[in-house]
Amino acid sequence: MSRKSFPSSATGGLLRDLEQPGYYTGYSTMAQKKKWDEATRNVVRERMERTPPLRFFSEQEAKLLSAVIDRLIPQDDRAEARTIPILPAIDDRLFGNSLNGFRYEDMPPDREAYKLAIQAIDEMAKSRFSQAFAELSVHRQELILKSLHDGKPDPDHPIWHRMPVHRAWALLMEDCVTAYYAHPWAWDEIGYGGPAYPRGYMRLEGGLPEPWEKPEQLYEWKAPVDSLSDVDEEGAPPEHSSLHGHGGSH
Amino acid sequence: MPHRLGPMQVLPGPMRRFADGDTVDYCIVGVGSAGGVLVQRLARAGFRVVALEAGPFWDTEKDWVSDEKGSHELYWNDLRITGGTHPLALGANNSGKGVGGGSVHWAAFTPRFHPSDFRVYTEDGVGADWPLSYWDLKPWYELLERELPVAGPAWFPWGDPHGHPYGPHPLGGVGDVLVRGCTKLGIRSVAGGPVAILSASHGDRPHCIYRGFCLQGCKVGAKASTLITHVPDGIAHGAEIRAHSMVSRISLRDDGRVDGVMYFDRDGKEHFQKCRAVVVSGYAIETPRLLLNSACPGHWQGLANSSGTLGKYLMAQAGNVIAGRFDELIRLYKAPPAHALSEEFYETDPRRGFARGFAVQTVGPLPVAFAKQMIAAMSAWGWGLRRVMMDYNHWATLGVLGEILPWEDNRVELAAEKDQYNLPVAKVTFNLHDNDKKLIEFGKHKVMEIMQAAGAKQIVQESRFAHLVGAARMGNDPSSSVVDKFGRTHDIPNLFVCDGSVMPTQGSANPGLTIQALAARTADYLITHGDAIFFSSRRDPDEPKIRYDLSPPFTKFKGNPRIA
Repeated sequence: MSRKSFPSSATGGLLRDLEQPGYYTGYSTMAQKKKWDEATRNVVRERMERTPPLRFFSEQEAKLLSAVIDRLIPQDDRAEARTIPILPAIDDRLFGNSLNGFRYEDMPPDREAYKLAIQAIDEMAKSRFSQAFAELSVHRQELILKSLHDGKPDPDHPIWHRMPVHRAWALLMEDCVTAYYAHPWAWDEIGYGGPAYPRGYMRLEGGLPEPWEKPEQLYEWKAPVDSLSDVDEEGAPPEHSSLHGHGGSH
Repeated sequence: MPHRLGPMQVLPGPMRRFADGDTVDYCIVGVGSAGGVLVQRLARAGFRVVALEAGPFWDTEKDWVSDEKGSHELYWNDLRITGGTHPLALGANNSGKGVGGGSVHWAAFTPRFHPSDFRVYTEDGVGADWPLSYWDLKPWYELLERELPVAGPAWFPWGDPHGHPYGPHPLGGVGDVLVRGCTKLGIRSVAGGPVAILSASHGDRPHCIYRGFCLQGCKVGAKASTLITHVPDGIAHGAEIRAHSMVSRISLRDDGRVDGVMYFDRDGKEHFQKCRAVVVSGYAIETPRLLLNSACPGHWQGLANSSGTLGKYLMAQAGNVIAGRFDELIRLYKAPPAHALSEEFYETDPRRGFARGFAVQTVGPLPVAFAKQMIAAMSAWGWGLRRVMMDYNHWATLGVLGEILPWEDNRVELAAEKDQYNLPVAKVTFNLHDNDKKLIEFGKHKVMEIMQAAGAKQIVQESRFAHLVGAARMGNDPSSSVVDKFGRTHDIPNLFVCDGSVMPTQGSANPGLTIQALAARTADYLITHGDAIFFSSRRDPDEPKIRYDLSPPFTKFKGNPRIA
């Protein structure tokens, strides 16, 4: 599903086709599955083993959205067989019309929002670079997406006058991270302990690992040299006054 | 297979089933934090009670998982429209569905409100006063702290200082950051509670195992939810909990009293449950929605809305999350998200230039929630998001919990859209006002200072809101409130509201404990007045006698420590 899009030299070589990116080499949450309760084991296994078929998006829409997702959550550093499926999870949610409990008064329903967003992105690509979005170079794809990220669509498109760009951006990003960071391979990547019932955690102090967790082994890595999406240590994040958190944390 | 509530507790059975044509004493709409307590008390007192719950009756071993994405069904995911200058995120952020309601996915912080919270208008000239005082409610606070029960420090120094029945929890990495930062700055903090999470086993419930999935439903049974604390006892005493029952309207008789509710079962078939009194416990959005959807001749603005205030004065608390990156590892996913706090900034301080205050609390977002926070707080995407998330174990997160005042324009109305039952959905409008904005600015900068003092190398913040209360507020004046101080609607003597929506103001304490204490007090009021509730319109302003004999099992011999 994911497109390996950067020349390997641009990645510094280090990030190519890793079985497991991140700083916890050899750590596997799934290795602990026998310690989990059955209901949790079934839900996680189903997620890993059964990628839902595409039923909501057309083939053409899927190709376009897939190219967008490859830039929102790039996986060029992951081995092909270790790519985490994101588009199928979004398609599955929209096919089942599974909602998150609310819709902004200035937003269309989620299904329509997706169709409008990818239409706008493709037409922006055609008007700025005379090419479909999926056919653009990665850098040009990022130029289009960065303009949405910044809340200043370039080129402008009538759809962004009907649908607030920062809300559409948040919708896309949140659905992407909901798929990616719900996957055990992503848990391994970030060193998250994963399901822990009935055993629980015992090492609460000083950030210490459990006996089955791994210590962190930090290394430097570089995003592709021409990428626009890496952390900008200098620049302050743009302040969207109405962009608010959606997760429950307290 | 027995219906399990945690690894040790089994739902008592068989549950009583009333026949379709039966008239029960009380019909309770919604089995959440308040409804669960109410149904238990009324059943123990011998009333015939049916509680209708829109969501499922959870078997925690089969239905719940240690998994963020897999816990989606715990939340009220049906459509609602949200708007205003600062629209509230709903669903997982603040709305539960299923037996236990929001108490299934609350973080379980259980601070009491301060005495000043009940007198905000008198003391600060803003907001509203409550029609009762802290001291009126205090006996029920203490009782619920024993029933849940609450674990926390022996000495809680703010508001009305008090101790807790169970000892505090060990500190996780985030609590350590809060305590360290506060101590550096000379700010008092408490650790290990107060939380409605067991630090030692209690009856048929084991103690906490520190796995950090409080917001996904506690499979361990250590965190209190009415599903495991009160509902089983209600069933053992003859209450019926009817799950998958979505109430569509309350029926009003010609004599101005209610006589039952219409509801849809899980197959979409409509039923009528006859009863002698109705208590609506649907929380701050579904309660006003149901009353508005029950409009009928003589009550065109909705039931119990002669004041025109139904749906208005909705409140959420400022819930800004301040995230700090540390050189050392934190591993914020361990330990309950709720486990340390400070209420040093809770009360009005005239030097700050705004009324009321805020609390500082630990939060513990799991990976998906944390990634969403980083999208908002850092505008992270692409490689940057992957990079930030690889540092997940280096971040600690502290929450502001700030008091937003009750404003008339923050409200719940009916939208044009309909839900799967063809009922108009709620439209929620939320705007921040000047005092709220000043309070949030001050609060978030104070928490950033704490984070910095703790040693964070990078600090970012995400704006958000937590909890929902108000929208059917209580008061002594029927022209400016929906219910009286016991939750009895001013307009209809046998129609009650019992949930967070009755709160006139919200303090900067998490509302769960107060909601449950109010529910137990309303239950004692109903029990004290017996059958008179069903036919009399007389209102007795005296506080009811507190019924210590109606607590669930395992409450006896627990005490609230008093350390002077």
